[in-house]
Amino acid sequence: MTEKVGGVPVQGDGSTSARPCGPKKVMMVPLDPVHDVGLKLIRRALSERGHQVVLLPPDLPPEEVVQKAAEIRPDCLLVSRTISYGTAELLARFLDLLDTAGLRDKMKVAVGGMSIRPELAQEMGFDAGFGPDTTVDDAVAFVENLEFQSTRARRKLSKPDLTEGFSYRFKDEEIGRLCDEIARELLNWAKERTSPGVLRAEIREQMEKARTEGRLAEVSRLRDEYARLTGDEILRFYREGTPVSHTRPLTASKARTFFDLEKRAGDGEDLVRPASADVMAERVVFVQYGTGCPLMDSYHILLSQSWGARGVVHFDPSWGARQEGLLEGAWSHQHDGTVITLENLNLIKKSILPWTLWQVRAHRGLNTPETVVLAALAGADLTKVNMVYGSLAAGTDPERLCVDGVKCLELAARFGLPYDVVTNEELAGVPAAKAFAGMLVVMTAGVLLGGRPILQPLFAHSPEAMIGGIMDEDYVDFNAAKMMVLADIVDAPIWPGAPVGFLTQSQDRVQSSTMTALHAALALGLGARAVTIASSDEAYAGGPITGASRVDSLKSVAAALRFLGKTKITPSPRAASLGKKLREDILNTLKSAVAAGSFVGALYAGVFGSREDGAYPGRAGRGTVTKRS
Amino acid sequence: MPKALDRVLDALDVETFFLCDTREEGVELGLKLMKELGFDDVDVVFCEQGGPGVRIRLRAYLSRPGSDYPWTGQHDAGEAKTGD
Repeated sequence: MTEKVGGVPVQGDGSTSARPCGPKKVMMVPLDPVHDVGLKLIRRALSERGHQVVLLPPDLPPEEVVQKAAEIRPDCLLVSRTISYGTAELLARFLDLLDTAGLRDKMKVAVGGMSIRPELAQEMGFDAGFGPDTTVDDAVAFVENLEFQSTRARRKLSKPDLTEGFSYRFKDEEIGRLCDEIARELLNWAKERTSPGVLRAEIREQMEKARTEGRLAEVSRLRDEYARLTGDEILRFYREGTPVSHTRPLTASKARTFFDLEKRAGDGEDLVRPASADVMAERVVFVQYGTGCPLMDSYHILLSQSWGARGVVHFDPSWGARQEGLLEGAWSHQHDGTVITLENLNLIKKSILPWTLWQVRAHRGLNTPETVVLAALAGADLTKVNMVYGSLAAGTDPERLCVDGVKCLELAARFGLPYDVVTNEELAGVPAAKAFAGMLVVMTAGVLLGGRPILQPLFAHSPEAMIGGIMDEDYVDFNAAKMMVLADIVDAPIWPGAPVGFLTQSQDRVQSSTMTALHAALALGLGARAVTIASSDEAYAGGPITGASRVDSLKSVAAALRFLGKTKITPSPRAASLGKKLREDILNTLKSAVAAGSFVGALYAGVFGSREDGAYPGRAGRGTVTKRS
Repeated sequence: MPKALDRVLDALDVETFFLCDTREEGVELGLKLMKELGFDDVDVVFCEQGGPGVRIRLRAYLSRPGSDYPWTGQHDAGEAKTGD
């Protein structure tokens, strides 16, 4: 299929299409002692497309070049100049000579080279100037009288499905049997229980439906019912309109700016995307946003998509997980994390392009089921669920989060939202094997409920690795072992995060971006379906992440992917032995969970991460689970 | 004519190499430079000493998230911080 991108007809894979004009006579000449490689590349492309090309040798005096042009009478004259010394004077003199000979108006003349800037070339009187970022296609487009856009990405993008083609069949039958037993017990246990979080999710769904259908009295009744299930601060908002700490309503001017931004984003076809983004087209790289302000987020999202991000992840404030209830309306927040409300999500969505995956996380707190409802209502593509991480390393009571988490799994399945099962409890010190055992149980429960989970191993310098010296030699083997062992256990998509390279980055943006890029390239090379990356501000805690720092890391990832292409990094034999041990420890963790008699009991007992490891069962929401009436 | 600084999305980073004897001196010079350039909300993102001085990256936040962004072209007169 052929279409126009940036004025140049291209195929879906980025190659140029059939010639749109008759054959042209093209004269090419390097006004330079030796350099003519660029012109040779262009000559080959033009010749293949049926144009008649004459390439003059280097180092001819301008007078002789003009004389040849008078003889050949080309439609196009392409001049190159690589060395910068005396370039402006030489090119100006050349154009004067061409003019004096009466040839300047008879042909299109362009100049290209390392020291050429398009603006300068046009100021001097050339029809076009091609700088160091120019592609052969740009020169071809010039000859064929098409508009050209140098340095633009050209790959046609579509929204990927991260779960497509995965069966979720356990290849490791012993581990599969144990996961199935534990997951079924969890689902049966949860079936009889409910919580304020579950009830609020059900009310929110009814409330938004009533709002859409214009049943405003019903909305008001449900809103009151909802408010009765919220904590003090959120209740004050619903009853008295008092804003929650460090939030303020989004102002009218900011709200208006969203419409400009939506226009700028459009359907993404006219969005300027640098050429470096092309290499990201076949890979799925997510970035996280959550500056606190939906408008600032939207600009970060827009620029991230331009530089190749294929997915964006919404970060909410940590207090949002600890409070019973979510706000309504459009809010900005003065600290990290953007408040989750349907209105905020709907505004942010204006900057999300049709090919971009959008994840709204629901993994850790007291509002997880409602977050899945809002994610679905806002049109998100993915969510995030893991009761183990949320209850052992994010402060929520295990019993409460298991009830809410199972509800999340049910909702995600009903809404058709895939979700990753994150294992960031590793960052608290929990060994990978225990975290993976929990992740596999939650994945199994999700699949039993008809969902499409994605495994999310930590792909970073984990505390376990630091303490055990596992990564003292390199950052490859242990991460590779994690990927290999999961792929050997079950046929499920793997999306390492979050973000990759965590705790390997420093405040130096070059080092930080490089570490991010290497981890991303390694993970994708090892078969990851997607990766989530940090910005180059990852290790800087003095202020919000900047837009420029997002570009840094995306450019670095693109460069690493371009460098490796389809070449794989081969881990050392140590990875296999690390993987073997991981598998044994996962198995032992699952056996201990079965022996504990219940999944929730196993969480309290430290089977999936103990106090000694650094995991502490959370307290938020303790005592709020009730039996279903 | 609108100021170029009003078109900065969020922050302005300045990177350079200071000739100095210690990291502390480098940090001091960096912060002084940013003040001399007229910025208030400044910080040192990265500073590493080596050989004759420090490699430094300085940052001035011009628009923190949620503040009144000059690049919207519209000002929120009377916008008050609430809920703190």
